[in-house]
Amino acid sequence: MTVSDIAANIAASDIVETVPSALLILDRNLNISSANRAFYQTFRTSPEETEGCLIYNLGNRQWDIPALRTLLESVIPHRASVEGFEVEHDFPTIGRRTMLVNARKIFRPGDHDGFILLAIEDVSEERAARKESNRNWQLTQSIVDSIRDPLVVLEHDMTLVTASKAFLTIFGITQAEAHGRRVSELGQHQWDVPALRHLLEKVLPENKPIESFEIEDDFPGLGRRVFNLNARKVTQPGNHSHRLLLVFEDITDRKQRERDALTLTNEISHRIKNNLQVVVGLIAYEIKSTSAASVPGLKAMQARIGAIAQLYDLISHSSRGGSIAVDAYLNEIAKQLSASLIADKSSIEIRVKAEPLEIDPDRAVPFGLLVNELATNAIKHAFPNGGVGHILLGVERVGDEIELVVSDDGIGMKDKAVLAVPEKRGSDYVAIFVRQLDGTLTRSAPEGQGTTIRIRLPLLLIPAGDTEPLAA
Amino acid sequence: MAMILVVEDDVFIRELAESLIQDWGHQVLSACDVPQALTHLKSSQHIDALFTDVYLKAEIHGGCDIARQAILLRPELRVLYTTANRLTDKLHALFAAGTHFLPKPYTEDQLGLSVHNLLAN
Repeated sequence: MTVSDIAANIAASDIVETVPSALLILDRNLNISSANRAFYQTFRTSPEETEGCLIYNLGNRQWDIPALRTLLESVIPHRASVEGFEVEHDFPTIGRRTMLVNARKIFRPGDHDGFILLAIEDVSEERAARKESNRNWQLTQSIVDSIRDPLVVLEHDMTLVTASKAFLTIFGITQAEAHGRRVSELGQHQWDVPALRHLLEKVLPENKPIESFEIEDDFPGLGRRVFNLNARKVTQPGNHSHRLLLVFEDITDRKQRERDALTLTNEISHRIKNNLQVVVGLIAYEIKSTSAASVPGLKAMQARIGAIAQLYDLISHSSRGGSIAVDAYLNEIAKQLSASLIADKSSIEIRVKAEPLEIDPDRAVPFGLLVNELATNAIKHAFPNGGVGHILLGVERVGDEIELVVSDDGIGMKDKAVLAVPEKRGSDYVAIFVRQLDGTLTRSAPEGQGTTIRIRLPLLLIPAGDTEPLAA
Repeated sequence: MAMILVVEDDVFIRELAESLIQDWGHQVLSACDVPQALTHLKSSQHIDALFTDVYLKAEIHGGCDIARQAILLRPELRVLYTTANRLTDKLHALFAAGTHFLPKPYTEDQLGLSVHNLLAN
């Protein structure tokens, strides 16, 4: 059976009794000819009380509503139909109701007066829900407006749905102007940053929040500001559409403090290194006038000062309150040694292999000087006959300890020449620095296969990314 | 032997550099700031190389300004920068193309090697 077959076999009265809207048929005098079951149920009345009654007199004149009179007496006579006429009224029997009324004039063949069909839909609950929703929206907006950090809600296509007052203030636009615009269209399009756009596009589909995206810009009336952008997906219960909450955290003051601290650190570092340059220069003057036997010791002293100087570059570069990245430090020491000691031994290569560990500045100086002494010894003594040589500076974590390895593929300890006085002093320094760092030193490697010095140190280095030392 | 213009605002460090460079048989001109350096560079004096500190008290990147103007005046001039500041990418971007760098503190051996390489290229 098709829909057409069903339609042909049912009477109009069946349809009238089935539809959820309340239906009324009025004659030309606005007396009620008939009503359907939905009308009687909605307005708690009966066919006996209703049929033949003037609509205004129905239910002790509770239908004598000015808006309904306007519709029936002023609008309908001039129009064939009216749709969506909203009537709000306090009914004594059912309370305050909001109704949407559709009206249509119906004419039968030969009947010039015709009837009026009123379809009345009770939209009270929908309207109440809408009012509640508006109240909630206003409350939410008030809370949003009270938040100091600017924030916006974006549609899935990255257009602005709403913005806080703080946001509107910094961008100098109204809520109406903001609505529907893209973040990339704000200001002079200076927020059209590919990296930001790329991140924002990932928030919704991949549910990947943006924790912090720094952007610096000039704002009218505010001047130059730095904002940290945070974004995350927001989902409304029962609603499958998703939106994006974008919060602008003003970090201008914090950034300025960081920059001031960095400037100060750089300035101090600059002064210290200039002073160290003076010290190195004083030694250089001594070298010019001293005996040849004293020169190696003085040059070794310059190298030690150079190793300390490298620290200041790394401290100023550090983001963790002065802690030093070990691999970077070893690389700097290797570079310094390569430049100062290998001029006549250019075939020696110094390699660095270090885990990502950090060291606090108090221990960095003896640590750096220790590496400097060991590597200097290797450069001076491991390759007396020239040729290609390799020196490895390595640091790795072994359980609760750190192992510093300085190895070479030179002639090995047994065949090395007897240490001259400065080198002997260098070995003394090694012992002192190892004691200072609470470490233990071992030498290894079979004869003729180079030298490997291993120094076990307590875990005085901090794994990169931790905030506290694991052990003192 | 070469004529080298040494620009350094610290008197001790400048005189040390001059003394070492002279020990290696070169001649030196000296300046402590941008105007003095430009006076030498605008003169008819033959100059082979410029050895300049980047940070000159009155001007944070005074050495870079000197080098830029020096190369305009003397395109063949060789340039060696030095500084006690860390060599960041931002600072490196201020260096003229094809120039050399020696970080402070430098020893006489390191300065000697840098000057040798500067004049050899």
